[in-house]
Amino acid sequence: MADTQSLQNILRDEQRLPRVPEPGVVVIFGASGDLTARKLVPALYDLAAQRRLPLEFAVVGISRTEMSNEEFRGKLRRALEEHRSGEVSGDVWESFAGGIFYLPGDSKKAETYKGLKELLKRLDSERGTQGNRAFYLSSSPSLFPAIVENLGEAGLSEGEDGGWSRLVVEKPFGRDLESAQELNAELQRYFDETQIYRIDHYLGKETVQNILALRFANGIFEPVWNQHYVDHVQITVAEDIGVGTRGAFYEEAGALRDIVQNHVMQVLCLTAMEPPVAFDAESVREEKVKVLRAVRPIPEGEVEDYAVRGQYERGWVFGEEVPGYREEENVDPESVTETYVALKVFIDNYRWARVPFYIRAGKRLPKKATEVAIQFHASPHTPFARDDTKGLAPNVLVVRVQPEEGLSLKIGAKVPGTGFEVSSVNMDLLYGTAFLEEAPDAYQRLLLDLMLGDPTLFIRADEAEGSWKILDPVMRHWSQKPEVSFYQAGTWGPEEADDLLERDGREWRRP
Amino acid sequence: MIGESRRAPGGGRMSVGQIERELGKLRTNDDGTLALRSSVLNLIVVTDEESAPEITDSVSKLAGRHPARAVLLISDPEGETNVDVGLSAFCHARGGSGTQVCAEQVTIHAEGPPAMHLESFAGPLLIPDLPVFLWYPGEFSPRSLEFAAMADLADRIIVDSAASESHEACLREIATLVEDPEMPAIGDLQWVGLSPWRSLLADTFGAPERAGDLEKFESAEVLYAPGGENRALLLVGWLASTLGWKPERASRNGEGQKIEFSGTSGDISVVLSPDSPDARLRRIRLYSEEYSFQVSRHRELSDVRTTVMRGDELIAERTVHLGAFDLGVLVGEELRYRGRDETYEGSLRAAVEILDL
Repeated sequence: MADTQSLQNILRDEQRLPRVPEPGVVVIFGASGDLTARKLVPALYDLAAQRRLPLEFAVVGISRTEMSNEEFRGKLRRALEEHRSGEVSGDVWESFAGGIFYLPGDSKKAETYKGLKELLKRLDSERGTQGNRAFYLSSSPSLFPAIVENLGEAGLSEGEDGGWSRLVVEKPFGRDLESAQELNAELQRYFDETQIYRIDHYLGKETVQNILALRFANGIFEPVWNQHYVDHVQITVAEDIGVGTRGAFYEEAGALRDIVQNHVMQVLCLTAMEPPVAFDAESVREEKVKVLRAVRPIPEGEVEDYAVRGQYERGWVFGEEVPGYREEENVDPESVTETYVALKVFIDNYRWARVPFYIRAGKRLPKKATEVAIQFHASPHTPFARDDTKGLAPNVLVVRVQPEEGLSLKIGAKVPGTGFEVSSVNMDLLYGTAFLEEAPDAYQRLLLDLMLGDPTLFIRADEAEGSWKILDPVMRHWSQKPEVSFYQAGTWGPEEADDLLERDGREWRRP
Repeated sequence: MIGESRRAPGGGRMSVGQIERELGKLRTNDDGTLALRSSVLNLIVVTDEESAPEITDSVSKLAGRHPARAVLLISDPEGETNVDVGLSAFCHARGGSGTQVCAEQVTIHAEGPPAMHLESFAGPLLIPDLPVFLWYPGEFSPRSLEFAAMADLADRIIVDSAASESHEACLREIATLVEDPEMPAIGDLQWVGLSPWRSLLADTFGAPERAGDLEKFESAEVLYAPGGENRALLLVGWLASTLGWKPERASRNGEGQKIEFSGTSGDISVVLSPDSPDARLRRIRLYSEEYSFQVSRHRELSDVRTTVMRGDELIAERTVHLGAFDLGVLVGEELRYRGRDETYEGSLRAAVEILDL
């Protein structure tokens, strides 16, 4: 008979049963915050209810607020009712909540970690969590270094009795290249890079992962996915909402840091990367880093030729009049923070030589849309009379990430009639419709991967830094020149963004 | 799922060309635009007049999650020769654009001799390049020529070993089919219904210190409802085939049955007992020298409680959702699966060995 370790796998060692992580504890720093109530606990509850978590599992919340275990559980239960659709089963909640614990404490003080260590040891013996722990930093980023140092000094950067210890870091991963490098150095002082899970929830979205499936599970796209066939690429991440109550945060961040550095750069990587040898953490992340390394640096003196900074003014979005950015709560009335960014980047490698990637991301645009549009070269010669091809545009393959996940290919077809008039038609495939499975929430997916120890969909240190490196010259230039171009809420960005493409004889698509 | 059912008028006998044309018309929206057709598979269902309404309902519910060209064949070989074709589509709007997406269903009532040649209806109506699932919700005759002809069309056959009058005979028939190299892969809804139970049981051995108990079981108890015999047998078959138990003896035990196995480190006795009829499986309990492991369904809820005890001491416990178990869910699970399920086949063989005792 096999040894005990493989014995445990015998009952689960098959395709039809889901993978369930080893026993363990998730420790959340900043547990009284919004993310814990809105995302983390609902995701963990759903995972537990759907039998995806191990039997021996616990959650420990830490923050400064004084609360008992019971009060913390009650608060989370109320949050669950509020932020999660669908019924909460009383028995399932009771069973899940029995594994939730709260530790009030100042995350800057060593004694908090002494208490934490004791609690974790107790959970190992009482709940069988086997010395495995994941520390989720959902507190203010300014506390990250102190938490990591204290965890390290308390000996918590290693699991107990051969168990594992993992560290989850929420964005932002720094404010620029320098601070990102500093942060990474801090994290790596106590945790090995293989223990660090930088979370960008965008990568947990099924639809984003589908870019990889589309490219690498289909033989027909990859042969034309290069400079021989592609004229240019447009990546759009548009939101119709404004900054809402996040004015103070946004003033510090701006669209470049909030969206472009992480989400948009991830989409760029997935669109442009070479096929990874395998869908595992190192192969996938290595290829993404290669893309970031190949992005041509934007010369600081020429930033205005490559980047546009925009801010929304009062306007109308889908029949509703909305305030301008400077009128939003907690926003400086003379703010030059960008709510819109357009960029032109080149990826200097064999596949993408001379192909511009136009990127735009913004708030208060006419609709919420995330898409990647691959525009192909026009047919080199059409045998039809020129007048007959007026309605014909080059082929465009659009990979839509949201709201309607799918693929659309613009192709030329003959207009019915006796002549030979050709015109473009859109062939739409909503591949989301083919599988109406409820896609798991991004946090569910990522928390499960974290517990399973699979970092493929998390950001590696050099990815985070590579992305800042591309944007650093832009940020430096903007900080020296505090000006911003305006666009009316409900339009597709400032005129300068249109000029960016017009100079190249191209124009933005309407998503 | 919110959507609309569209039905073509008419009926009677139709040609393949007419059927395809009418299905195309069904996808035409009121404003003249054409709804998309979405399909990931072909689903052929063979049923009888009596079960047809319930099955039709399940098939249209499946359309949301597993958009398919569904061909529902209602067979009555005893009647006068008659063929009647009904067409419908299940359409729903996607996202904000209002784009309609439809899944199609062709229902054919075949009476008299045409009912003996259902493959001649199904074959031409399949969408090319998509896998073909053949589902028998009720009794089926695996030895008949009709069955062989239908199986020839399919990539996977879905049956329900509990739908037969004799659950034992049915399990044996399926085991014979599984051994036939000419047959496509076979799935049994009674096996699908076990997945959460198996997963929960596996969870109780997630802690390394308890994994060793997998080879130290001394006894087990399974409570099942009437109609759940095969589910219980397959569960025990799974344990036996996975853990290397060899069936040795069977005896009656009150209303139920006691089966004795020899294992690598001793004998194991398993008692299967019928219980109240409201859940096909009510409880499984495994005993080792030190621990007892239990997965038990709440009487009125779809929740299930797992416990691990050492004597009277509760070591671990939790309550989770067992999930829904209606026909649509079970079939939907089968439609997700492609290829042979070797764990199922091993469990089925072990279950038949138990029956042979």
